[in-house]
Amino acid sequence: MAPLHAPKRTSPRGRCDRGGRAITRVGVIAVVGACALFSGAADAPTGGDPTVRTFVLSTLYFANPEEAGACKVYADGGLEAFYKMLPPAEQAKYATPDRRPALEAAMAAHFGFRRLSLQRGDFGGRALQAKLPPWFSPETPRTPEAAREIGALNGFPKGRGSFAYQNQTVAYSACTNPEDFPALAKGFKTYDGARAAGLDLDGKVARDDFVAPDGRRGVDNQLWRAIGCIKIFDEQGDAKVAAKTLISARAPTVIEIRGVTDPRNDPEVAVDIYAAADPVLRDARGGALARASFAIDPNPRLHAATRGKIVDGVLTTEPVDLLLNFREQIVDAPREIRGARLRAVLKPDGSIEGTLGGYYTLRSFYSSVEQMTQNGANLSGVNCPGVRRAIDRLADGYPDPRTGRYTAISSSLSFFGVPAFIIGEAGGRLAEPRS
Amino acid sequence: MTAALAATRLRRWGPALLAGVALLLAGAALLRTAWAGEPAEVLGSGLRRLTEAQYRATVADVFGPDIEVTGRFAPDLRSEGLLAVGASRVSVTPSGMEQYEDIARNVARQVVDPAHRDKLLGCAPGGRDPQGLQCAKGFIARIGLRLYRRPLMAREVDALAASTIASAQQLGDFHAGAAATLAGMLASPEFLFRIDAPAPGRGEIDSYSKASRISFLLWNATPDDELLAAAGRGELDRPEGLARQVDRLMASPRYRAGVRAFFTDMLQLDELDELSKDAVIYPAFAGSTAEAAREQTLRTITDLLVDRGGDYRDLFTTRRIAMNGALGPLYDIPVERQGWRFHEFPSGDPRSGLLTQVSFLALHAHPGRTSPTLRGKAIREVFLCEKVPSPPANVNFAVVQDVNNPTLRTTRERLHAHLDDEECASCHRKTDPLGLGLEQFDGAGQFRTTEREEPIDVTGELDGRAFDGAAELGRRLHDDAKVSACLVKTAWRYANGREARADDLLDLDRLDEAFAAAGYRFSALMRALALDPNSYRAPAEVHPLRGRS
Repeated sequence: MAPLHAPKRTSPRGRCDRGGRAITRVGVIAVVGACALFSGAADAPTGGDPTVRTFVLSTLYFANPEEAGACKVYADGGLEAFYKMLPPAEQAKYATPDRRPALEAAMAAHFGFRRLSLQRGDFGGRALQAKLPPWFSPETPRTPEAAREIGALNGFPKGRGSFAYQNQTVAYSACTNPEDFPALAKGFKTYDGARAAGLDLDGKVARDDFVAPDGRRGVDNQLWRAIGCIKIFDEQGDAKVAAKTLISARAPTVIEIRGVTDPRNDPEVAVDIYAAADPVLRDARGGALARASFAIDPNPRLHAATRGKIVDGVLTTEPVDLLLNFREQIVDAPREIRGARLRAVLKPDGSIEGTLGGYYTLRSFYSSVEQMTQNGANLSGVNCPGVRRAIDRLADGYPDPRTGRYTAISSSLSFFGVPAFIIGEAGGRLAEPRS
Repeated sequence: MTAALAATRLRRWGPALLAGVALLLAGAALLRTAWAGEPAEVLGSGLRRLTEAQYRATVADVFGPDIEVTGRFAPDLRSEGLLAVGASRVSVTPSGMEQYEDIARNVARQVVDPAHRDKLLGCAPGGRDPQGLQCAKGFIARIGLRLYRRPLMAREVDALAASTIASAQQLGDFHAGAAATLAGMLASPEFLFRIDAPAPGRGEIDSYSKASRISFLLWNATPDDELLAAAGRGELDRPEGLARQVDRLMASPRYRAGVRAFFTDMLQLDELDELSKDAVIYPAFAGSTAEAAREQTLRTITDLLVDRGGDYRDLFTTRRIAMNGALGPLYDIPVERQGWRFHEFPSGDPRSGLLTQVSFLALHAHPGRTSPTLRGKAIREVFLCEKVPSPPANVNFAVVQDVNNPTLRTTRERLHAHLDDEECASCHRKTDPLGLGLEQFDGAGQFRTTEREEPIDVTGELDGRAFDGAAELGRRLHDDAKVSACLVKTAWRYANGREARADDLLDLDRLDEAFAAAGYRFSALMRALALDPNSYRAPAEVHPLRGRS
């Protein structure tokens, strides 16, 4: 491997392999010795530092293992679950699609859902203005305690309520407080197929483990068991769909592999995972623009460093705790993945495709659910209480030392990425990794 | 367009313009050559139509940058590789005249509108000037000097002012009358054409014509007040006075615009406006790429040649290049997303010199593939001043265009097969060996080492001197005396707006030697051209508007 010294970035310049070996970056620098490139005061060469491979992830998604028939019937969404709770006479009132809004209103009235705007005036025609405490301002940190205090001021059940919809509302619903609505969770269908995307996180082949689509055994991915029969996850998990979709493009994740002497086989490389401060750009085809440059989010919690190896063009890494930005539509809920590891193919066209396996903390997953609006959950067919109950039941990682309850659930996020560059400024703008 | 037709059009604007029409009719001979589509070069370099860029710059200079120039211009003509030469040969078609009329009316309307009239007219009817006649005269004399690039004669001012008042009365609005007159001036050949007027009895053009020459050469803009004043004092007819103004113009930040205009013309960078690439094949070539590529080349050139006073030949080898975020993906390097900065490729990098910039590589290529022939032709014509004939009409390009050919996998192989046709081979042997040296850059200018998984061979030869790759080709051009001589010739043609004749060759040789002696500093060449007395020789023919030489 090439030296793995820390990437002290003072300018967007390449770094030299002091061993003076000629290093080749596939498809880019074929004949130019790397060290010659870095002599003098020159900036980065064409293709960047050939010992560094950087990618921006255009898509991070829960992959569908494409096991036909594993979900013959999808899990009921929250609205469907409520409909089934109604007596036949009531159901008849809402039997046609045009009665869906009325059914939603009935559901909200039945359960006492509330959604109030933190802004002045009408919010989207749907939410009334919340009564706000005198200490509240638009800059007030959106903590659970603040949400509960505003909820109390507005008549929410004691200790209930969360910020939602990009922190512009405070709400009480089956998504903000799924534990209050167990009736909706009744009969929630989980995935019982044998195959799932993911990695063997615990080094064991257990009874409830899956087989990966490529035949690897011992795959730990209980999160897919919990959500794999929700229609929207099943549909969005199609790799062909995901490859053409930019997800979390506003706050993408960047993977940098350093010390690469041979992109096909290298026994030891350094791997950094960052949150970018710049969005993914689109190319003329509408896909992620390759070889664009990204500044890095200075928040050290969004930077993780680990090591790995490349065997036959497949990168695997050692476990590391991660915090990944997840900003999509109305959701801003960073994903906390503990014991995360990568398995990724470095493709000849310069792109990357792979899997990020690890234990998704329940706290951060629930945050993403809580930030959905009830209306959004209904439209997506997501049954928040059902998901919550399934995850609570299936969680399998990082037990709380005090209570013994699991705090995380094995999971797998698949991704596509294109080559990219990281740019930084003088003064060590890049944060030190947290581990 | 005939003068009668012009009169018909102009009559629509009101009686004020009829005086202008009369002025046009007085220049009937000029109109016959310049407006009826006949080459104007019978007058030597005496008549050049403003390019769109020059028109826009002039309006901005005279009326301010907030006056918008809207509308479509008649296309500029590239002739013998230069728009500057085409400007001497171009005519105004009837539809082109309509376009000029529309643009002129729009400009005039803004100049007299309530937001601008106080500043730009500076007066109004009232008091001792109830009709505004004196106001109109002052405005016309002041604006006329800048628009016609010479002082208006008293009878011209009187006629235009009288027309203004007549129009104002007919339209019931002084400012509408002033707008009609201004529109007529903006559509007049005196404005639209740069006219070299002979200085009676001196065998050279007059001072104001010299002022225009050096202003458009060095700033690509109309002469400023100081230059016109110097012309009025006759200073430009004395070598030291001319040198003083030339040095002033070259010391100005606006000199950069003149250098940019020259290289835009020489490198045909205006054609990037129309450049498009196949998005499926070159997804990184986005809508804004071509504009950024042009700006990159111009910034790189002005940095080397103006800001750092560099050697022109170094343009073919420089590793320092202006860069912005839009171009970073094409160059495959890290770049800050906002703003421009200079990037220096390391020694040994495949990118070095003008030939490896996206503006050159993408412009001289097809929408979905490279073209060693187009690239080689551009090198021959633009940098070596050689003429490469166009292909015969019946040429069969089938082999060359078959990018999926199962046996001829690389462009080099397909072009080689094409050379089996001896008729084609004679030209391709001149162009292709140069263009094939750039094959490691695809049709969008992105670096690659393989084509359809085959390694790309970039060896070639320039007139017997072998090279391997773009960087070496750049060094060959850097060291080729024909390259610097070609620049001198191109700059001379740009300055004079015409092809060199036999009696110009001595002048060119002298300039060439001086250029070499000055270390190939581009600014030394521009200064020599601006001071070259041979450039100011009067056209021998009678000038229809200004008299006889």
